[in-house]
Amino acid sequence: MRADFSGVRGQALGTADTAVDAVPSAWPLSPRKLAAAAVLALAAACSSTERSPATVTGARIAVPRDGSAGEWTMPAGDYSNSRYSELDQITTSNVKGLHVSWAFSTGVLRGHEGAPLVVDNTMYLVTPYPNVSYALDLTREGQPLKWKTRPENAQTAVGIACCDVVNRGAAYNDGRIFYNLLDGHTVAVNVSDGTIAWRTQMGDLGRGETMTMAPIVVKGRVIVGSSGGEMGVRGWIAALDAKTGKEVWRAYNVGPDAEIKAGRRYTAFYPQNRGPNQGTSSWPGESWKVGGATVWGWISYDPALNLIYHGTSNPGPWNGAGRGGDNKWSASIIARDADTGEIVWAFQPTPHDLWDYDAVNENILVDLPLGGTTRKALVHFDRNGFAYTIDRATGEVILAKAYVPMNWSTGVDLKTGRPVLAPDKIPAPGKKLSTICPSLEGGKNQQPAAFSPHTGLFYVPTNNLCMDFETRDVSYIAGTPYIGANAPEIAGPGGYRGEFMAWDATTGRKVWGIKEPFPVWSGALATKGDVVFYGTLDGWLKAANARTGEVLWKFKVGSGVVGAPMTYLGPDGKQYVAVYAGIGGDMGLLIAGDVAANLPYDVRERGSTLPDLAKWTSWGGELFVFSLGE
Amino acid sequence: MTTIERIAGAAAGLVALLALGEACRELRATEPQQSTTQQPAKTPAVVRDSANPFVAHLEHIRPGETPPRGTTMRNPYAGNAQAIATGAKLFVSYNCVDCHGADGSGAMGPSLADGRWHFGGEDGEVYESIYQGRPDGMPAWGSTIAPNQIWMLVAYVKSLSAGKDVSVENFSGRTIERTGH
Repeated sequence: MRADFSGVRGQALGTADTAVDAVPSAWPLSPRKLAAAAVLALAAACSSTERSPATVTGARIAVPRDGSAGEWTMPAGDYSNSRYSELDQITTSNVKGLHVSWAFSTGVLRGHEGAPLVVDNTMYLVTPYPNVSYALDLTREGQPLKWKTRPENAQTAVGIACCDVVNRGAAYNDGRIFYNLLDGHTVAVNVSDGTIAWRTQMGDLGRGETMTMAPIVVKGRVIVGSSGGEMGVRGWIAALDAKTGKEVWRAYNVGPDAEIKAGRRYTAFYPQNRGPNQGTSSWPGESWKVGGATVWGWISYDPALNLIYHGTSNPGPWNGAGRGGDNKWSASIIARDADTGEIVWAFQPTPHDLWDYDAVNENILVDLPLGGTTRKALVHFDRNGFAYTIDRATGEVILAKAYVPMNWSTGVDLKTGRPVLAPDKIPAPGKKLSTICPSLEGGKNQQPAAFSPHTGLFYVPTNNLCMDFETRDVSYIAGTPYIGANAPEIAGPGGYRGEFMAWDATTGRKVWGIKEPFPVWSGALATKGDVVFYGTLDGWLKAANARTGEVLWKFKVGSGVVGAPMTYLGPDGKQYVAVYAGIGGDMGLLIAGDVAANLPYDVRERGSTLPDLAKWTSWGGELFVFSLGE
Repeated sequence: MTTIERIAGAAAGLVALLALGEACRELRATEPQQSTTQQPAKTPAVVRDSANPFVAHLEHIRPGETPPRGTTMRNPYAGNAQAIATGAKLFVSYNCVDCHGADGSGAMGPSLADGRWHFGGEDGEVYESIYQGRPDGMPAWGSTIAPNQIWMLVAYVKSLSAGKDVSVENFSGRTIERTGH
């Protein structure tokens, strides 16, 4: 999950003034690098071709929201994880009239990932550590607080979390909001008065477990998972009774069948995944016990199939010399029975991951026209740079295409679902590898994509980064990092470091793209008004035409955006768009280096990946809410 | 018997780190004598008789004349090049590097190379930070790392500090100019 800030190169901080060419010496044109660039250009052919605007007809959200279109009750808006809103007051023709309606400071200066919720004219926010929650009354002028809740939350967690002290938000259900605390607890807060209904310890800080993901609630159960894939933990996902906070089931992602809940229901689409105890036989000895595979990303749910879908993190440690084998089910997508947690199918985008390519990115559930029929699909933009269109009933990979420049693999073999490796990009002890693309931050990271049934397209915030890679010895010491590699990063081919793109998942093609000087670390929002929204690390909230990619409006908020924009209908009947401004998270904290003017005791050297970011933004923790003019 | 020696006797539970053994054995042969008589006269002697000698002193202002103990402990390896080199290896072996970054430049944890110290930068204060941990997640290593190794880590960490503070950043030109003491 995290970026390794170690081994940072000493390089000149040559930085241009304009954002567009603000890429310093990160892509020097040495002969070696030129050769690498040529290879990359070939590998990236599909994503470098700008095409005329196109849409996909007959694509639909698998699980449209059943509540009011004006509310936002769960992290991604709906169980499909579409981040699509039926609201259409804001359109491509009037979006330029958006202005700040109001703002709210959360009082915390750390990475604000996720998005607020709006239920019953009340907005709910959860801050990064110390994970304060607020309820704002939207019916009254000035949005006064209904309550503010500060659960007990061990301070030790601050130094145990790998990648800033983020929280990806809450889920609402039946009079409560549910969210995770960094120190490994899940809490339920009564929305009537802010009292804590229950607080259940799920993770063990002493072993390096923290919690940052946003839960979802399925049939009265709160589904949560662990963080700590860089600490040698053993990842799990669990269900809690929403009423009592009691654990109903817990499934590990590595280990014996009984503990990962692979049994009667498990069906492997690919032959290499068949047989008992895949979660131990694909590891040497007992290395699976510290094998990572945490669940720190997003969860989706299909009621018709009664399956939940989640990804798992990188295996531990990054230095893979001591864990020969596929290391199942790390770096995997898993479909589990929503009632019991049993594995129904699992697919591993990156077997034996050596590049920190977690598979925790969101799985968006859509029904897509494919090969003359409508398929129940799951679309997943993996850290490894491939966009997968998968049959969500069986785990069959229908399509897998590179969506960002890549060179670690030449493609996915659809007979096995496995990537074909480039032999010169496989890390091993004693090897100094250069320019592996994408970098350990992935083609995409936590920043969730959106889908619009109006256009049939996916809207994807991406990174364009490469890395050098060198393993080093590693020892397991409980509660400390378990990594064993240095991987300094540089900008990918073309010099830009991020791109917001529209993707056709029926063909595996980019439809349009907006290049950004920095990785696009914000989530996306799609709306029926054919306006899509995203934020940037340098602090812009941007609105683009969903069909053409033309940027129609932008506003510079108070800090870099790493959360996801959302939209809701106010009590006055107007459509609002809200987004956190609060730089941080893995990219904001570790890669950008110190932009924390509030930490006078830590005036650190910057990383070389984004040395120029601090020119454009600083730490913040504020919600910005926009609406159209009077 | 000094505090250091008593703690050394108690801290038997070393993590098995093969790469370290040899380097540490070499160093022990040249280990300087640890004696309070080597303390400069200007600072009071180490407090020896507390039941729990490693109580945190997180503040530098204090009532009365007695300074916090951490500011008075002396590193027997201060400036010892061989100890610093071993400390650099220990820094990797005990996974310090993954929190504090290569060369201690900061990552999950704070920078150790900018000359600034959240919990005090005197040798003894850095020793205490390692030994007893700190509340933002710095583990308490006192039961895992032997005192002489902690002192080598202190020697290494303190060797990083010179000239890395970048207290001023000027963004007005074509390049970012960074200056500091």
